[in-house]
Amino acid sequence: MASNALVAVYLVPTLIGLFIVSPWGGLLTNSLKDRYPSLNSVRGQLLAGLQLISLAGFAVSAQTLWISSKISEGGSFCSSSSTFSCDDLLGNSKLNVDPFFGLSWGLIGMAVFALLLFIVFVLQQEHNHAMAERMISMGLLSTGVGVLIIGLLVSYELKEGKLCLYCTTAHIANLAALVGFFRLKRLYENNSEWNS
Amino acid sequence: MESKMIDDENAGAMGSALIKVMSLFFIGIMIIAFTANPVSVGTGEGQRAPDIDGKFYNGTGWSDMEFGSYFNTSWEEGDINGQWVVIEFMDTDCPACQRAAEDYGSYANYFSVSNSEWNGPHVNFLASATELSIQGHNSDRQEIQDFRADNGHNFPYIDDLDQDNMGEWGIPGTPTYFLIQPDGIIAWSSPEHSGEKVSDAIFRLTPRSA
Repeated sequence: MASNALVAVYLVPTLIGLFIVSPWGGLLTNSLKDRYPSLNSVRGQLLAGLQLISLAGFAVSAQTLWISSKISEGGSFCSSSSTFSCDDLLGNSKLNVDPFFGLSWGLIGMAVFALLLFIVFVLQQEHNHAMAERMISMGLLSTGVGVLIIGLLVSYELKEGKLCLYCTTAHIANLAALVGFFRLKRLYENNSEWNS
Repeated sequence: MESKMIDDENAGAMGSALIKVMSLFFIGIMIIAFTANPVSVGTGEGQRAPDIDGKFYNGTGWSDMEFGSYFNTSWEEGDINGQWVVIEFMDTDCPACQRAAEDYGSYANYFSVSNSEWNGPHVNFLASATELSIQGHNSDRQEIQDFRADNGHNFPYIDDLDQDNMGEWGIPGTPTYFLIQPDGIIAWSSPEHSGEKVSDAIFRLTPRSA
């Protein structure tokens, strides 16, 4: 049960990030604008939210990879007879890897969220970078493909009758990042707002 | 002299972001590498045995199989107190399995701590009964119970009529045997030693008391 409660460490920042990238994000960032001047612009808010989401997504993906590794040693992490048993999914050698290359989903998640973080870091430093538009599209595409993968992984959960809270948190992070990159793209298309 | 140096104004941002992200990624991987020692799951010798799902019959009724409960991951090689596991993948309608049933039952009785002639560790015997997709092979739980009773077996029979476990273990045919160490690592498998009986493998691989 404690292992399932630990998921809050990743879920809370993800949800805060989702709120920041939502149209109501200003309600949360208004009080922080004096300390963090970058939050004065919508672009700064979106990038800050995306940074939080990507960091949380990266961390929870690393945690799932670690759990898979520990289970393969013979240990258990979040084994339970209830629906919330991530061991049954993360410890399943057929379901915890992608069906084409056999790479752990945790490792794939780490790589994808690292890519999103890279995009965020570049745009935070050079928002008019020559490849800014391409990078925003890449972020949107990566998270869009992620939705299809979420569908596949949720189908595994339904088939097994188990729910992996760590995986679900990573899925929420992907959806939150999709929202963030969608809004970022819309903002980029409006040149004056992007440069404000 | 004219300078021909070309400046890429954006290279700094990308380079700096790349260093940050790569550092983060490798720190993550290093933490996992230092705190976990993953063992691949599979049916080859030296791999961790995959899980076995489903219900098992122990002579009184069908219960949920807890395959992991047979293993102790802290077991160390040479420790005679650890209990080993032999699992047979079989089909009650398979003639070779029917012929092997008597021997398999006698092994289960012999490699037991209750047998004073055996000075090795206790070996738990299991049978995973499937229904092969061959014409004339029609099985059900009652047939599994009857097969177990007819052969005087007293070890659990697992219902794998849907071939789920057989598929996960990549069983090429029946009967197929695996000898598993007390820590859940496969020590021997009949597909890798076609000329050796499971009983000979137990004699060869398990520790003995002096």
